[in-house]
Amino acid sequence: MTPRTTRRLLTAAGLAAFFTLPLVVTDRYFLHILVMTGIFAILTSSWNLLTGYAGQLNLGHAAFYGIGAYTSAILATRLGINPWAGLLAGGLLAAAAGFLLGIPSLRLSGPYLAITTIGFAEILRLVAMNWVDLTRGSLGLYGIPPLTPIPITSNVSIEFTSERNFLYVLLIVLLLTVWAIRRMIRSGFGVTLKALRDDEVGAESIGVDTARFKLTVFTISAFFAGVAGALFAHYQRLISPDTLSLGETFAILTMTMLGGLGTLTGPILGAVILTFFSEWLRFVEDMVKLDVRMVIYGLLLIVTIRFMREGVVGLLVKLPWWPKTLGKGGSDGR
Amino acid sequence: MDSLFLQQVVNGLIIGSVYSLIAIGLTMIFGVMRISNFAHGDYAMVGAYVAVFVMMWLPGPLGWVNALLAAAVIVAVAGVVSELLIFRPLLDRRTDIDMIMVSIGLFILLENLAQFFFEARPRMLADPFGGNTVDLGLVSTSQLRLFCLAFSCVAIAGLQVFLNRSKTGIAIRATSQNSRAARLMGIDINRIYTLTFGLGSAMAGIGGVLYGTLFAVYPTMGAIPTLKAFVVTILGGMGNIRGAIFGGFILGVAETLGGSYLAMEYKNAIGFVIIILVLLIRPQGLFGQREGV
Amino acid sequence: MIKKSLGIALFTACFLFALCVGPALSADSVKIGILGPFSGSLAFNASEMKKGMLLALEEVNDAGGLFGRQVELVYGDTECKPDKGVGAVKKLLTRDEVLVVGGGYCSSVNIAASQIADMEKCPVVVAIAISPTITNRGLEYVFRTSPNSPMFLNGINQWLEKVKQAKTVAFFMENSDYGRDGEKIWSELSKKIKAKELAHLYFEIGDTDFTTQISKLKNLNPDVTFNIASTTEAALIQKQAKELNFVTQWIGVGGQFTEAYFKMTGPISQYAMGSSLEPTLNMKSPETAAFVEAYRTAYPDSRPGIFSSQGYDNLKVILDAVQRAGEPTGDLQQDREKIKDALEKTDMKLTQGRITFEDDGQVHSVVPSVVQVQLENCEPELRIIYPEDRATADYQAPQPWRERECQ
Repeated sequence: MTPRTTRRLLTAAGLAAFFTLPLVVTDRYFLHILVMTGIFAILTSSWNLLTGYAGQLNLGHAAFYGIGAYTSAILATRLGINPWAGLLAGGLLAAAAGFLLGIPSLRLSGPYLAITTIGFAEILRLVAMNWVDLTRGSLGLYGIPPLTPIPITSNVSIEFTSERNFLYVLLIVLLLTVWAIRRMIRSGFGVTLKALRDDEVGAESIGVDTARFKLTVFTISAFFAGVAGALFAHYQRLISPDTLSLGETFAILTMTMLGGLGTLTGPILGAVILTFFSEWLRFVEDMVKLDVRMVIYGLLLIVTIRFMREGVVGLLVKLPWWPKTLGKGGSDGR
Repeated sequence: MDSLFLQQVVNGLIIGSVYSLIAIGLTMIFGVMRISNFAHGDYAMVGAYVAVFVMMWLPGPLGWVNALLAAAVIVAVAGVVSELLIFRPLLDRRTDIDMIMVSIGLFILLENLAQFFFEARPRMLADPFGGNTVDLGLVSTSQLRLFCLAFSCVAIAGLQVFLNRSKTGIAIRATSQNSRAARLMGIDINRIYTLTFGLGSAMAGIGGVLYGTLFAVYPTMGAIPTLKAFVVTILGGMGNIRGAIFGGFILGVAETLGGSYLAMEYKNAIGFVIIILVLLIRPQGLFGQREGV
Repeated sequence: MIKKSLGIALFTACFLFALCVGPALSADSVKIGILGPFSGSLAFNASEMKKGMLLALEEVNDAGGLFGRQVELVYGDTECKPDKGVGAVKKLLTRDEVLVVGGGYCSSVNIAASQIADMEKCPVVVAIAISPTITNRGLEYVFRTSPNSPMFLNGINQWLEKVKQAKTVAFFMENSDYGRDGEKIWSELSKKIKAKELAHLYFEIGDTDFTTQISKLKNLNPDVTFNIASTTEAALIQKQAKELNFVTQWIGVGGQFTEAYFKMTGPISQYAMGSSLEPTLNMKSPETAAFVEAYRTAYPDSRPGIFSSQGYDNLKVILDAVQRAGEPTGDLQQDREKIKDALEKTDMKLTQGRITFEDDGQVHSVVPSVVQVQLENCEPELRIIYPEDRATADYQAPQPWRERECQ
């Protein structure tokens, strides 16, 4: 079997699994976990684009997520705008915010950028808490409509109130996200990004317009996070300022680091592992009566950075039976 | 000047002095090792819990004084251990990202270990001055608050003297300015790293006891000092100790005045707004060059 | 790369599927879901609620359970965050397949969780949470066994109108639905009694430094300061008010008056007022006295408080309804429907008083009393000061700090 065939087989199997899993699973709670995993996978992938590929440490990713969620929710509940349009609006407004946040990033790096992005998210969270007329404050927005059914024939339509159908929407958005990111990093753009990440001054000296690239990446990353937020709002049908909290960002970055920063698959893998792992821990905790979930999160993050910088993806490629041409995270590996 | 304005300035100076105390450790560690430690506020939390336990054995003002000492020593040890185990192995990595991420991991770990061992219930540290208040006509405050202000100033001044006069202090400053040159001059860089981390976390530990006595001690109390310390540090220029001192007082007063006269709801955002403005206009911070200590 | 991502995801999904296939709880028990912030900053109060519930659970299980089956409580931790609460209630409804959901605490969580339960047609009985929104949305499956904020504040409002007659008031509220709901009610009352509203200030849950706000309040010098806060914040506010030499009549909802609060404040909390259903204060009622007695036997180290009694009442109401609904058939939808119908006919005398539900699912028959913290040998004590027929003490107006004996 040539590597190419292996890859194709894996793809076919993967796609088939992705699209049949929701059909096979009947446990609604399991479907709910899958939905949450999917939303996190979009968030980790988009965060990874910015931080993993472009090297811009963003600790305010939850802000983009929150902007998407609040935009779509407010449009739907106050103005009766179709949630599908809301998804786009949420993504676009988040993208605009990403562009804005990208401007100071042109001059900042490392801890300066980290604090600026945290500050940005904190300010937005306080706005969501205090602009009560618009956001209902800490109470949050409830009664958000689900995605509008898509009519097939005059009396048959696809509804999105069930976890299963929603999961399909989510899978499609996730695939689009990954596809877009893959297109970017496989193109000349990706080469520039890597140069930017590894040596910004060097990149500038060979004539790379770093400003344009940074702003583009900030905007695109924020767009997908915003769409994820809007999807979440119409799934959960309730959002609150907690959506914008630092804890959400920490979850996103722990997942990405665990899966493998700067790889395409790592963030998705990390989202899957940690979501399921914490569900499993919840069950173990009930049995042993100990609340250790977050302690393990912290340990995982430290151990990952210290001993397995390439994350789980980095471990997988070391397995003897793993198709070697798939490479260390593929063409994008570090 | 009316009494409200004066009162708010005094409130701001008092809380600002505690911000400075905590931020100095952060800025020192950044100056010497280029580590941005997001777990710094958790050293303050550990210090506060040390005080809680010391004061269980030894209540009263004497216990409180001992608690300050114990917190300084134990947190210094904890800081050095975390430096050796977690931060030092990453020193040769090229990016800030690893260092910041690992410190976030430490932050999550410490906060939740505290929750695990000490439960979420807040505890109070008994006021060594028995809650006595001071009424100065236009301004009211407590003996404890005045003590915090004075103590922070003394501790900060002491540190300055140490850094400027003692041989070790000068070595720390030299390393901060140029570690390669310092090494060539025969300074044992690793010893300086350990020392800086120990000293920086001890300051945070002491700050934690003051913070815990002024307010309360609870597992998640480290988050706010961490963010405030970063704001202060960036205001003053990272690695700049004098900048951190002024930065602390500026942030404290800006928060109380901004909260009182502009928008109380956004009091906790004032610091962020200031640093975003500062970074846009003057990325090296308000006080001079980025490198100096 | 999509390809590989899919490959890996498939591999992991299959692997993890095994992990996630949940724990089958013993099939023959009667399962009741309990929501609450069992971790996070309110964990202590949630554990009080749980203690009260365990007392009720023990009573029924020691007597042989329901229909010869043991009753089992399945807990869902909300952390007092709406998002987490939605996840927790979804798990209770779809994975654990509980018959009915009880517990609660935190209005924002309960507003969200009750909406989900209602969509799933599963009855939810809220134990502790005061936002009127929970029961005023016309949701058929939502009940509440404790008073909502207008009911909680009714006594205080009467007292303010008839006794205190404040001229100036200020608001210093927790920035949450808990604080904002109360603010709305008191703001209306202030207009009614023609008191001048000097300021509307807020603080965030988890804040510890209130000196800026208190300095501002002191400058305005209101007769009455409405202060809705939870235990920790309320205690810190009292402490810092003393440091800044600020005297006012503090009025809260009363939820802050917990054991931990008095431990943190000591005599500083003197003169603070609120509304309360403290079981120890209503010992005249035999049901309450019996509960206090049982609680002290079961937990000799702790004091029966409002949350434990509300937890106890909540589970008692649920158990009673499950019993009247008849043995569960196994058809979840049908069983839940029957329990909902039984809940509507609830009529019990419990620790808080008589519990019956009106059409909105809200209990209206429980009436809290106005309480004030007064000192006995420098130890703080809660005393009922209004209405007169229940009062055990007279109102004491706040004195300047330097004239107070105990500090």
